[in-house]
Amino acid sequence: MSQSATIALLGQPNSGKSTLFNALTGLRQHVGNWPGKTVEKKEGSFSHAGKEYLVADLPGSYSLSANSDEEVITRDYIASGKADVVCILADSSQLQRSLYMLADFAGIDAPCFLLLNMADVAKDQGKQIDAEAIEQKLGIPVIPFSATDTKAYGGFYEALDRALTKKARLNVEALSGQYDSVKGFREICSLIPEGAIAGYSPMWIAVKVIENDKVVLDRLRNAVDAETFGRIEQAKKDAQSAVETGGCKFAWIDEVLGSAVTKESKKVSLGRLDRIYTSRVWGKAAVIFTVLFGLIASFIPALPLMGVGSVILMAKAPVGNALTSIGCPEVITLIVTDVIIQSFSYIFKMLGFVFGVTLVFGLLEEVGIMARISYVFDNTMGKLGLQGKSVMPFLVSFGCTMGGAAGARVIDNWGQKVLTIALAWAVPCGAAWATIPMLSSIFFGPGAIVVITAILFTMLLHMWVTAKIFGSRLVKKEERYGMIMELPPYHKPRWRALFGYVMGRTKETFIRVTKVVLMVCGLFWILSYSPSGGNGGILYRIGVAIEPVTKFFGMPWQLFLSYVASAVGKEGAIGVISALYNGGSYGAAFTQAMSGGGTAANLSEILLANVSRPEALAFIFAMTFNMPCVVALAATYQETHSAKWTARIVLYYTVVSLLLAFAAYHIGLLIW
Amino acid sequence: MEELLTLLGDGHARTIEHLAMELDTSIEDVERKIEFLEHAGRIRRVVFCRGGCNGCSGCSTKGSDGVMCKGCMPENGFQNMGVMWEVCKA
Repeated sequence: MSQSATIALLGQPNSGKSTLFNALTGLRQHVGNWPGKTVEKKEGSFSHAGKEYLVADLPGSYSLSANSDEEVITRDYIASGKADVVCILADSSQLQRSLYMLADFAGIDAPCFLLLNMADVAKDQGKQIDAEAIEQKLGIPVIPFSATDTKAYGGFYEALDRALTKKARLNVEALSGQYDSVKGFREICSLIPEGAIAGYSPMWIAVKVIENDKVVLDRLRNAVDAETFGRIEQAKKDAQSAVETGGCKFAWIDEVLGSAVTKESKKVSLGRLDRIYTSRVWGKAAVIFTVLFGLIASFIPALPLMGVGSVILMAKAPVGNALTSIGCPEVITLIVTDVIIQSFSYIFKMLGFVFGVTLVFGLLEEVGIMARISYVFDNTMGKLGLQGKSVMPFLVSFGCTMGGAAGARVIDNWGQKVLTIALAWAVPCGAAWATIPMLSSIFFGPGAIVVITAILFTMLLHMWVTAKIFGSRLVKKEERYGMIMELPPYHKPRWRALFGYVMGRTKETFIRVTKVVLMVCGLFWILSYSPSGGNGGILYRIGVAIEPVTKFFGMPWQLFLSYVASAVGKEGAIGVISALYNGGSYGAAFTQAMSGGGTAANLSEILLANVSRPEALAFIFAMTFNMPCVVALAATYQETHSAKWTARIVLYYTVVSLLLAFAAYHIGLLIW
Repeated sequence: MEELLTLLGDGHARTIEHLAMELDTSIEDVERKIEFLEHAGRIRRVVFCRGGCNGCSGCSTKGSDGVMCKGCMPENGFQNMGVMWEVCKA
């Protein structure tokens, strides 16, 4: 073979460069490094029509700026003339976007041709591309191509041959005309002598000067005399920036594509759902009602598991009887019935709601509504002195406050971060969304829906008030920049994946909740246990002593202790309730257990007999808005690095939750 | 492209569709401009810390590799939240 030529492949990532490289060279390729750099160098060879070709697969990058080693290596290789021809790849399905590489290449002196790759995809999209019209404007061979269709490479070889024979150069006149509109371009361009940096035209260099390309500026400093460089630097100061030159490149691309690309043009409009969800007027209400409706709907899948919980409780009496009849010590019998069986009854009831709430929130995310919440509340965040991205930690907090605190890491301003975490505490977490509906349905039946609605609105009010209280100290009024959001399209949920996720999460929660509830219930049961069978437990004595104070907030001592335990974890509260309300009064419970009967009374009935509705309401509010849990407290300290602020937040939440309990109790008294 | 940045100066959040409508252009045009501005360092993609972040030592059931516990932050949660960009302060 007499002749050989070197081809350099240039294109953005995912332009199909590697597919083409592999198809051309097959096994005849080797991988090394560019001299002195850790950037991968891929080379290979092939022969076609009696001619040998070497191929250099240049690193894929967005453009040819000096942002990375890859880009500098790429442009220097092309400008060095080591390649006889540069094969530029663009994605036909998004030419407007992917021709940016060609526009950034324009001005580097090398023969080239353009492959409009993925022509098949563009065709499927209904786009018709007139490659000849583009070729006329660019002055280089342009062909529609599909790198994956290795049997149809004829056009590629033909264009390669034409580019090599003609030494085809890109016509940059129109682009240069675009740059003329950039302030400072003409002046800088006229100061740069032809060949100042070998392989690059003055136009290309001038654009990079405006774009503040450090590598080009350094080389230019050595290439021209000090006075000229000084004048260039002066002109650069007054010139516009990379945003304008970038705009010129896009304008040129549009000009080149002009009528060459035809596509059924569609006027941009919002879908029917987005007209509601992203509306400035209706968006917030739509989102709040969707979430509320979702929470209410979560009762439906929760009910069967609630039933399982009740069935478990029914085992209490027979198991107790059986254990007594075989002569099992009473303490063991009581632990099995009052601690284990009773706790599992509660755990399953809670699990129903964990399943229901996770399913509903998972579904809202799957179909794309969750992402819209961030958009809708961006403006509200501004009013609270926060950036729009603070919404994300809040949404995460619906699952776990700890996740919310960690998610607040995305906020770089310390004050805003602390405020975000402080507000995230007000969002009831996954454990709360399991306990609130369960307790509400026990006490209020269908009225639970009203309680949940009240909790949701109290949460919003709480966040607002908290922001006003802490905001002035934490955030300074500063200029706010808008955000751009790419919202996922609405789509039907992938049920399989969704159920997999929900089941996984329910299982995880089951394990965690079981550990906490059993541990807390066991501990409180031991503390309230009195072998004499009377009301002598340590806890009972403490409880009676503090009751005058706890009653002020509407909670009997048992519920108050449960509230205290909820600071450890919301599920802990259920452990305490399970231990302290184990069937009638404490002394009676014991006698009943001894006689082996009576404890079969329905759990709901036991609670209802001992706790009034206003007391229950007070407790539900106190528990929900209490400090989320100890791990959230640790996470808050870790993220804020401030013991002072962590302590302040804890104190504030304790006081506010008790105040809310007080208010809920008195409102409850008015109703019932 | 300057007009896109100017629009964002008012502090409101916009979706790509809203931007396309306000700038009277196509979604593809807005998308390529976002890509450009991101590369030029004028806007920044907001990356949220979720499962897999290091430094989650507050979690009681944290794995040895620093991955957040599944109960707190499920592996497959918050995947379909879209993308956010914020303007980099000059």
